[in-house]
Amino acid sequence: MKKWFQRSYMGLVFLFLYLPIAYLVLFSFNSGKSKVIFSGFTLKNYADLFTDQQIMQALLNTLIIAGISSIVSTIIGTMAAMGIQRLRKWQRNAVMNVTYIPVLNPDIITGISMMLFFSALGISLGFGTVLLAHITFNIPYVILAVMPKLRQVDYSAYEAAEDLGASPALAFRKALLPQIMPGVISGFLMALTLSVDDFVVTFFLRGVEVETLATVIYTTTKTRISLSMNALCGVMVVVVLIILILANLPQKQQKPKKEERI
Amino acid sequence: MENIIELKDIHVSFEGEVILDHFNLNIKDKEFVTFLGPSGCGKTTTLRTIAGFIQPSQGKVLFEGKDITALPPHKRQVNTVFQRYALFPHYNVYDNIAFGLRISKTDEKEIAERVSEMLKLVNLKGFEKRNVTSLSGGQQQRVAIARALINNPKVLLLDEPLGALDLKLRKGMQTELKRIQRQMGITFIYVTHDQEEALTMSDTVVVMKDGLIQQIGTPEDIYNEPRNPFVADFIGESNIIEGLMLRDLLVKFEGVEFPCVDKGFGENKPVDVVVRPEDIEITEPKEGMLCGTVESVTFKGVHYEMMVRSENYLWKIHSITYKEIGTRVAMEIIPEYIHIMAKEV
Repeated sequence: MKKWFQRSYMGLVFLFLYLPIAYLVLFSFNSGKSKVIFSGFTLKNYADLFTDQQIMQALLNTLIIAGISSIVSTIIGTMAAMGIQRLRKWQRNAVMNVTYIPVLNPDIITGISMMLFFSALGISLGFGTVLLAHITFNIPYVILAVMPKLRQVDYSAYEAAEDLGASPALAFRKALLPQIMPGVISGFLMALTLSVDDFVVTFFLRGVEVETLATVIYTTTKTRISLSMNALCGVMVVVVLIILILANLPQKQQKPKKEERI
Repeated sequence: MENIIELKDIHVSFEGEVILDHFNLNIKDKEFVTFLGPSGCGKTTTLRTIAGFIQPSQGKVLFEGKDITALPPHKRQVNTVFQRYALFPHYNVYDNIAFGLRISKTDEKEIAERVSEMLKLVNLKGFEKRNVTSLSGGQQQRVAIARALINNPKVLLLDEPLGALDLKLRKGMQTELKRIQRQMGITFIYVTHDQEEALTMSDTVVVMKDGLIQQIGTPEDIYNEPRNPFVADFIGESNIIEGLMLRDLLVKFEGVEFPCVDKGFGENKPVDVVVRPEDIEITEPKEGMLCGTVESVTFKGVHYEMMVRSENYLWKIHSITYKEIGTRVAMEIIPEYIHIMAKEV
C-alpha cells in the first residue's frame, strides 16, 4: 500500500510536469484548427513551420546566437575559472560571490540593466547587443561548471608535461584540458540551452528587427493562433532533450573502473 | 669527476620569506646525490630550481658549465619524478611513458621500442594497456620513473618519490632505484627527509637545515663524523654531551676522562661529544668509570633500548644485554667511537 502511494505520487509529479508539454506536442499533429478538439493526424503544421520565412529566420538567429555565445562564453569562462582557481582563498571567495550574482539575479533585471547600459553608451540595440548579452549571462554558468573539475585536477601533471618537454601551451592542452574537459563540455551545453531558451534578456535587447524563436513564439501567440507554434514548441522540446542526453553521456563513461591488482 | 650542475649564490624567497640565500652547491656527474633535511629546509626548493619551476631572484644555475638560469623547464635536459607521481590520468601506461618522445616528434616505431625497453627497466612488462589509475602506488611510481627516463636525461630529479609508499615497498624500491641509477649511468638528485633512505642509496649526502647546507659527504662521513649537533642528531640516533678537550687525544665529560682519536682542538677547549647508542658498552661499575642508573628498558627486537641517567645526562644505549630498571651500571666507550665536534660559534 505504501509503495502504491509512493509510485502514484511520483506519477502525479511527472504528470503535472510533462502533461502540458505532451498536450502541446500532441496538438502539433492536429489536422484541424482547434487547440482543444483533435480531429486527425497530420504533419502539415510542421510543413508550415519550415516554410514560414519569419520562423526560419528566427531559427537561424537563435542557432547563430546560441552557437557563437556558447563557444565564446565557454572559452572566456574556462580561462576565468583557471584564473580564479589560482587566487588566494579570500580573493577566490570574493570573485565567486560576484560570479553568483548574475546567476541569482532575475533575468528581467539583467535584461533591463543591459538595455539601459547599451542605450547610455549610445549603442543601438540589435543582433550585436543580443549576442553580447548572451555571452555575458552564459559566462558564470560556464565558470560554475568548470570550477569543480579544476579543483580535482592534479596540477603536477601540468608540471610533469612541461618537465617532459612540452611548452606551456602544449602542456595545458595535453595535461590539463583533458582532465577538465567534462566540466568544459557540460558548461558549453548549459550555455547552449540557456541561450536557446532565453526570452526575457533577448526581448529587451533585440531592438526592432531581431527575432529569435522565443520572441517569435511570444509575439505570434499574442496576435494569431496557429498550430505551427505547437509544432515549433515540439521541435524545441526535442532539441533540448537531445542536448540534455548529450550532456549526461560523459558522466556515464566516467564511472570508476574496478581496481586491478596483481 | 666533472660537475654537471653548479648552483651559484642562489637566492629564492616566497612572499617575503627567504628560503635559500647565497646558496652554493656543485653536483658531480653520474653521482647519486641526496638532499636530506627536515621539511621546510629548502631541499625541494633547490630541486625545483634545478628543474626550472622556480626562478631564483639572484644567482646562477649552471648545467655542464652553461648558464641555464633563464631556461624554462621544457628546455632543460633534466627530468623529474614527482612526489605524487603526477601521471596523466587520461592516458594508459604506454601513452604516459611515450609522452616525452611524442612531444619531440619521435617516430612511433622507435617510441614502441623505447617504451618496452623502459617497461623492462622498471619491471612493468605487459602493463602497456593498463589504466594508470588502476595501478598500485608502487606501480604508479615505476611508470613515473620510466616516463622521466625515456627522454634520456643527464640528470634525474626525484622529489621524495617513495614518500607515499609503505615501509616494505619503500625498501624494495630503494634498491631498485640504486640499480636503475647504476644501469643508466646518470646523475640522480634525490630529495628526502628519511635519513635511512639517504644513507642506503647515496654516493653523496647533502644535509640541509633552514636553507643552509650543514654538511656534504659520503653516508659514512655523515654518520661517523657529523660536523655539528644538528647533523649528529638528524642522522641516526646519538648522545650529544658537552665536554672539555683537555689536550689532543683526551676528552673529559661527566667528570670522567676518556682517551679519543681526535686532535687539533687546542687545550682545555669546550667541545660537543657525540656517541652513538650502539657504541656504548654496559659493564659492572668500578671506581673511576662513567656510571649511571637504568631508567627504562624497551625491547626493540635486535637489541634493548635503555635510558641510563648519569650525573648530568640521560644516555640512550642500544645493548643486547638486559639490565633491570634501577640497576647501577658502568658505560664503556672505546676511543674510536668518541666523536668530537667544535662548539658552534
